[in-house]
Amino acid sequence: MKLPKFALNSYLLKFKSWISGYKFKIPQFNFKIPGKAMRVTALLLLLGISGYVYYLDATIRDAFEGRKFALPARVYGRALEVYPGLKLTREQLVNELRAIGYHENPEPKAAATYKLTINGLEFTTRDFVFGDGLQASQHLRVEFAEGKVSTLQELASTDRDIPLMRIEPPVIGGIYPGHNEDRDLVRLDQVPRPLIDALITTEDRKFYTHWGIDPRGIARALFKTLSGQRIEGGSTLTQQLVKNFFLTSERTLTRKANEVLMSLLLEMHYSKDEILETYLNEIFLGQDASRAIHGFGLASHFYFDRPLDRLELHEFATLVGMVKGPAVYDPRKKPELVVGRRNVVLKEMAGQSVITQSQFVIARDKPLGVVQRAPTGTSPYPAFMQFVYRQLQRDYREEDLRSEGLRIFTTLDPFVQRQAETALQSRLGEIEKARKIALNTLQGAVVVSSTQTGEIQAMVGGREARFAGFNRALDTQRPVGSLIKPIVYLSALEDPSRYTLITPLDDSPLVWKQNGTTDWKPKNYDHKFHDKVQLRTALAHSYNVSTARLGIDLGIEKILDKLPKYGIERRPLPYASSLLGAFGMAPIEVAQLYQTFADGGFRTPLRAIRAIVTADGKPLQRYPLNVEPVAAAAPVYLLTTALQGVVREGTAQSLNNWLPPDMNVAGKTGTTDELRDSWFAGYTGDRVAVVWVGRDDNKPTGLTGASGAMTIWGEMMKNIQPEPLVPVMPEDIELVNIDPVKGVRQEEGCAGGVQLPFTKGSVPAEVAPCAIASTPIQKTVDNSGVTAVVKPTEKTEVKPGAKSEAKPEPEKKSWLQRLFN
Amino acid sequence: MKIRSALISGALLLLLVGCAGVKVTPASQAGVAHQVTTPATTTVAPDILAQQPGGEVTTVEPVPRPVMSSNRAVIALLDRAGLDNKAGKRETAGASLERALRIEPRNPWLWLELAQVRLAQGEYAQAITLAHKSNSFAGRQPRLLSESWQLIGQARVAQGDTAGAEQAFKLAADFAQQAKQP
Repeated sequence: MKLPKFALNSYLLKFKSWISGYKFKIPQFNFKIPGKAMRVTALLLLLGISGYVYYLDATIRDAFEGRKFALPARVYGRALEVYPGLKLTREQLVNELRAIGYHENPEPKAAATYKLTINGLEFTTRDFVFGDGLQASQHLRVEFAEGKVSTLQELASTDRDIPLMRIEPPVIGGIYPGHNEDRDLVRLDQVPRPLIDALITTEDRKFYTHWGIDPRGIARALFKTLSGQRIEGGSTLTQQLVKNFFLTSERTLTRKANEVLMSLLLEMHYSKDEILETYLNEIFLGQDASRAIHGFGLASHFYFDRPLDRLELHEFATLVGMVKGPAVYDPRKKPELVVGRRNVVLKEMAGQSVITQSQFVIARDKPLGVVQRAPTGTSPYPAFMQFVYRQLQRDYREEDLRSEGLRIFTTLDPFVQRQAETALQSRLGEIEKARKIALNTLQGAVVVSSTQTGEIQAMVGGREARFAGFNRALDTQRPVGSLIKPIVYLSALEDPSRYTLITPLDDSPLVWKQNGTTDWKPKNYDHKFHDKVQLRTALAHSYNVSTARLGIDLGIEKILDKLPKYGIERRPLPYASSLLGAFGMAPIEVAQLYQTFADGGFRTPLRAIRAIVTADGKPLQRYPLNVEPVAAAAPVYLLTTALQGVVREGTAQSLNNWLPPDMNVAGKTGTTDELRDSWFAGYTGDRVAVVWVGRDDNKPTGLTGASGAMTIWGEMMKNIQPEPLVPVMPEDIELVNIDPVKGVRQEEGCAGGVQLPFTKGSVPAEVAPCAIASTPIQKTVDNSGVTAVVKPTEKTEVKPGAKSEAKPEPEKKSWLQRLFN
Repeated sequence: MKIRSALISGALLLLLVGCAGVKVTPASQAGVAHQVTTPATTTVAPDILAQQPGGEVTTVEPVPRPVMSSNRAVIALLDRAGLDNKAGKRETAGASLERALRIEPRNPWLWLELAQVRLAQGEYAQAITLAHKSNSFAGRQPRLLSESWQLIGQARVAQGDTAGAEQAFKLAADFAQQAKQP
């Protein structure tokens, strides 16, 4: 707003008289009044000012030195390893490349470009420093056949087959210095000249000659301020840098004065190049949700998805134009305004003959060229990042994480993560709709890890996977119900002299008495008692009564004492109900427990970080694979057989709606009182996954483990396409033909038998003659009481991993039955 | 403990010189070595052995190692790990082996190689566990089991568990014998 001329003049007069009065009075003070008191006052004043300047000097130097190197820690997902034979489609590879900023180009010879070919893809990677060294840029050809990589070639003067290559890993987040500042550090010699020219022409033409301030600019600003206009600019790059160090919206004369003093001090201590380099990395250039974009290096990626050295003149001008106010000049929100501002910058450059007229005209006519993309905030995978962060906090000081520019290589597999997120979100919606549950009331969490290496491949902390809220995968503690039962059964199977898979268990009514507690009378989910049931059957159908009795016989304390070995820190109360999972665990803890079952009794601590490398590429720390023997191979093998029974013929039978039976999945459903929690934990040949579904207010969901969590597990795994589960049979295990109904050994040639594993020495000595000439009907009863009639088959192999050639096929169930199963 | 390990290692080295690699000699409980006849066994890269306590070198290799993987990517990573190991870069070697394990997590040779690296790093307990894990995938591969038990024996020697080491060496010898049979 402009003031009328007369008003301006009157302000000017006031200002002049103030100045002259000031000049006039000072000598009077200093020289005309003699006396000791005055001299002391003057001395104190002088000391005060020096002290203040000294303080400012220390502050600005501190800020400059500190900021100069404040680099966020960069967190990467897993690098995709590509080799012939890898299960991968062209679409998956293209997605991977696009996610890390590759562009389609008919001649993909520049880094980060690709083109589709008939059978595959041709592309050129970027130089990338991995945890174990530099992988130089490569021009490659990948071809696919039958869902796998069939050819991998490096293209040079002569093309050659190569055995393996790594794609650069995707950045999945950062750990940022204060105010969530993110930046990609650039050295001055990496910054293209046109950018510096544009910046200096537009913002501070006398940069190389002034002392940090521009007196005329200041005078102009002061004049405008005093004449009642807006307090404004006239800032040199040095001043702007100082201003950026102490981000406040305060606009006062004191602040301006401090800024001027600090700028002068900064110029005394540092060279122009140092100041310019810091400016280029420091200046604020935009906001990405909670993440602040600082510096031209990062802004180049953020707006143009290319490194700074690959931008063109008009793009440099765009960035420089935004310096004035990135919130106002936001090219995604106000492209026209930004084009206008860009052209002002270009015009200034042409006017100063920094560029030629023809360069000006060409650049002016170019489109903005800013890439559109959804802001990702600090990370698209907040749940996983939280896990990484907690692990880092154990080993690093907070300030080092936020300022040392560490590069953190993690285990997250974006493909698996995407399947986990999608399955959770879509299935919960479908379940709510199908069961007329109020929309968006169900919540869930998913953890997926790799069996043998314990690496977390995906973690979802809630339905809204992008939302960094409560992380249910780590922080929710929900009763696990039957998920804990395998520990009871494993304890039994560890004593083969007493227990085998066919040992009859007592499922008749049970009362457990303990002083100080009310009598506990466990019930089965189907409200029936089953008298004598085979051990494997009791687990397959998740019978509570026989499991509780088994646990009591084995010793409650003895079983609970084993939990720490499996990575479960908390100690449940020594009650029989604890054996049925009446205590809370987090999904991540359940994943750790099942990882040990999946890995043949070896516990591999779940981990999210592989290695940490310093900003200049030196390995700082590795998180190597560690393995601990927890349980013997034979009983774990037997347990896996029983858990495969859960899927084959027990409570998780309907998993077959998602995964083929020959996947031989081992798993366990978990359902808690009044259907508050729905769990499924299971493993395939290569992955362990846990899903929890429930409500945040802990109200009943109406879902069993099989009708809720398991359907998400199935949906997710179907899309991940895991490897079938084929555990290696330990030396001390042998297979014996068993009559599945009577649970007795029968002659090897008998039809209708199942091959069950036994620890050597525990094989029943007695061999019955073939039970049946005509085979009986085998009934299986699942949790919901739905009886599946299974046709008897030829000898059925039940050893884990055996191809189920003659597997009893469960009857196709109706949609309604499935839901209630 | 260190002095004892050193004594054992010294005794072993002396014996090795004398035995020309045909006999492998675990240490006895008393810390004095006595001979147990075994076939020549280990194919552990000598550069690893050179730096590990209780390492035993055999020069005769009657049964060559089978191809450790049919996957060229895994072979490439194994080669790389081998080179890094030679250069004393254990961490990097370990990282390459972990990469290979992500491709073939059930390949017992890879677990055994990782166990070798840990042994060379002086992480004896971890080396033993990894060797056991290798065994769990080994099935009936006496050649591999022999190497694995040999390694377990070496790690136990280093841990001062001479009785355990002796047992392991005996198993190693038995498997080596089996491996030689056609």
